[in-house]
Amino acid sequence: MELTSRHISDKAFGLLAGFSAIVLVLVLGVILVPMILEGTGAVIFRGTVEFRAMQLNEFGHGDASKVQAEIAEVRPLRERLYDIIDTFKRGVDIDALQERAGQIHRQFGAELRYKDTPRERYTSLRSISRRIRDKLRAAFAGTDKEQMAQQIDSVLQYRGDARFEGTIATGYFELAAEFQESLQHIDLRRRRRYKEGLDEVEQIIRELFGPRPDGPPPALAMYRYGATRWDQAQKSLQRLLWTEKWVQLEQSRPLQKTLIERKKEFMGTQLEPLFGFVEENLAQMLRPKWTFYWRYFVDDSTPGHYFGGVGPEILGTIVLTVLSMVFVIPLGVISSAFLVEFASDNFVIRIIRMCINTLAGVPSIVFGLFGLAFFILFLIPAFGGPSKPCILAGAMTLAVLTLPVMIRASEEAIRTVPRAYKEGSLALGASRFWTFVAVTLPAALPGILTGVILSLSRVAGETAPILFTAGIAVGPLPKSVFDTTRTLSYGSWDMAVGDRLSAMVPHNQYGMVVTLVFLVLCLNGLAIVLRSRVFRKLKGQ
Amino acid sequence: MMQQTADFGRPLLLSASQDLRGFLGLHLGRALLFVITCTSVLAVFCIFLFVGLEAVPFLAKFSLVEFFTGTGWYPEAEDPEFGALALIAGSVYVTLVAMLFAVPVGVLAAVFLSDIVSLRIRTIVKPAIEILAAIPSVAYGFFAVLVLAPWLQRKLGFATGTNALNASLVLSVMALPTIISVAEDSISAVGRDLREGSYSLGATRFETICRVVIPAAHSGIIAAIVLGMMRAIGETMVVWMASGNASQIPSPWWDLSQSVRTMTATIAGDMGETARGSDHYRALFALGLLLLVFIFLLNAGSEYFLARAKKALGKS
Repeated sequence: MELTSRHISDKAFGLLAGFSAIVLVLVLGVILVPMILEGTGAVIFRGTVEFRAMQLNEFGHGDASKVQAEIAEVRPLRERLYDIIDTFKRGVDIDALQERAGQIHRQFGAELRYKDTPRERYTSLRSISRRIRDKLRAAFAGTDKEQMAQQIDSVLQYRGDARFEGTIATGYFELAAEFQESLQHIDLRRRRRYKEGLDEVEQIIRELFGPRPDGPPPALAMYRYGATRWDQAQKSLQRLLWTEKWVQLEQSRPLQKTLIERKKEFMGTQLEPLFGFVEENLAQMLRPKWTFYWRYFVDDSTPGHYFGGVGPEILGTIVLTVLSMVFVIPLGVISSAFLVEFASDNFVIRIIRMCINTLAGVPSIVFGLFGLAFFILFLIPAFGGPSKPCILAGAMTLAVLTLPVMIRASEEAIRTVPRAYKEGSLALGASRFWTFVAVTLPAALPGILTGVILSLSRVAGETAPILFTAGIAVGPLPKSVFDTTRTLSYGSWDMAVGDRLSAMVPHNQYGMVVTLVFLVLCLNGLAIVLRSRVFRKLKGQ
Repeated sequence: MMQQTADFGRPLLLSASQDLRGFLGLHLGRALLFVITCTSVLAVFCIFLFVGLEAVPFLAKFSLVEFFTGTGWYPEAEDPEFGALALIAGSVYVTLVAMLFAVPVGVLAAVFLSDIVSLRIRTIVKPAIEILAAIPSVAYGFFAVLVLAPWLQRKLGFATGTNALNASLVLSVMALPTIISVAEDSISAVGRDLREGSYSLGATRFETICRVVIPAAHSGIIAAIVLGMMRAIGETMVVWMASGNASQIPSPWWDLSQSVRTMTATIAGDMGETARGSDHYRALFALGLLLLVFIFLLNAGSEYFLARAKKALGKS
């Protein structure tokens, strides 16, 4: 009996331990897989014609004539879409109609004055025009269909009038005729509701196909194009076809969110065919194509990383890390050489080792404070430089941060060089210094390189030390080491919490962080491969 | 076919000047190397000095008692309050909860890797740990904000997804690699003889590990936990992004769904809004100094335990 319980506890323990290891691997999967899947979407996706237009206009990529041809091909379908909207709008948008009537009246007056019309004729025409305008306005705002039809008819009586022939006033009759037609389809009581619904529809249409080609281009790049990605387009289509409403399904139950077909809202109107039309022709209007957007790693981005890539971020990360390596490699290699080859185990050396360990434990944010207080406020101004965040200060801060990593890795590398190498050299009469330079260092070089790569990957991922010393979220490319720079790590943070625009483009959010993770993991993988090869080589000999 | 012979015409004795040059070369060279090596010492010294220098005016101006016992952190108010207790409590709270998750999993995984599993599974789990260690902290923070927080909010019905639980969970994952690798080192360093002695007395694997191996390696395991705590308490990006940044002590104390704010997150978050040389700015440096002291003590603790582990294993 006792034996079984012991046996069971033994098995349970084994299972538990195995479970903890499985948890570890699972956690890694949970963190990395969704991120990578989502992030790949920034580079590989189905790009629409809007994407190609955006690439052409904002970044100058792609074949201009081909893109123009494509835009021209999709235009007729889109024109039909806009026609549907415009026709519907005519009957619904009272303010716009009244405004147009007023505009015609004003322009007509100006035209008459321009033509130097005799005073009496001018006055009479103006008064007729005013009467027509007022009638139209009343008709537009009316609530009784018959009355409105009469008003329109009375306006249209003037159509044959020779005095208006060939003037701007003919616009009245077009307006009236259009309205007369749409009057037949409209439920007058719902005009206000229609107007609100129409605004929403127009908004979504703009998201899908961009601004109207005839209007002025919007100031912000993010509004200049429609859905650049097919997945985005599909989401917008869903929003176009369905609306979410809180509906009470049963009595004395809480409201429930339900999807309602938007078409029902516009049942029987001229807008109704729009929904079917968009649903059927979306692919023809956007022409999705599988796109491998490798320029993501090169392109600059528009504000909020709405369009474009992470080119400046990658560049900044590389500049910052390489510069910090310039500082840390000599320091690290020399320190480790001293510690391994020339130092005896005495009190001073123990203090040095303790300091290295402490340095390794200092929180990264404290390195940020230190970089701010020491490099930016003290050291760089002391040499006459500007006292503001810059790449140089960031790189030096990161160099201090990664010094322990570098020292430990190269110490290990120097230690793994077989004694026989050194002894052979010493036996030949070389001094200890020359033995180190000519024999130990070359043999340890691949190991040291591993350390360098590990330091690189550590530095590339650090955010907290560069918060106050070098990083910015938006800004121009750095021109010298005395400028601030964008980096992948800073950008990832900013896109995750700081920037509301970027929340609208999750693929770019994830794209940024995946680029960073990918870079760091590649460097680590390289280091692992290198280390195992060095190990094998030194063991084999 | 070597025609040359060694030149023995010259005596192997060095002249006095050659001797001196060699002596000076060796010692000056050594001195130079020593000076360069002292950069690390200098760096630690400078960190304490410069962070301290910026903090001193604050510490002189405001009472330390209020700093350590006050819970109101209103640095930009008309009548500013610098009570860091809630921030210190936040840091400690999040770290301890993270350890609560990380220590059992980490120690078990270390035992699993060193004592239970075959080499083949080891080669799968080991790289996983290395990758976990290599992922930048901002990526963990990204995960916490954009993946974990909405999930917590949806599935567990919390008022906000960025809370103490979120930060602790992610911190525990980040501390795991440190804990596992140090603990595994010390567990594997326990010799075969102890294990075989235990097995030969009829103990099962569970009994051997719990009664013999872990007690023998306990110093190293404690050092691993301390190092994991160091990693967690000094972590900035994750807690800043995931903890919710509400300067409060959770009440009731076990309520993990509340937002907290840590010292690191306060430094990172407030520094951008302060004027250089203001009280607020100096208060942040005081927080940094406090963090440094924390880390220094933890580091001393880990060194003590690691030295003890070395000594204990050296004896057996």
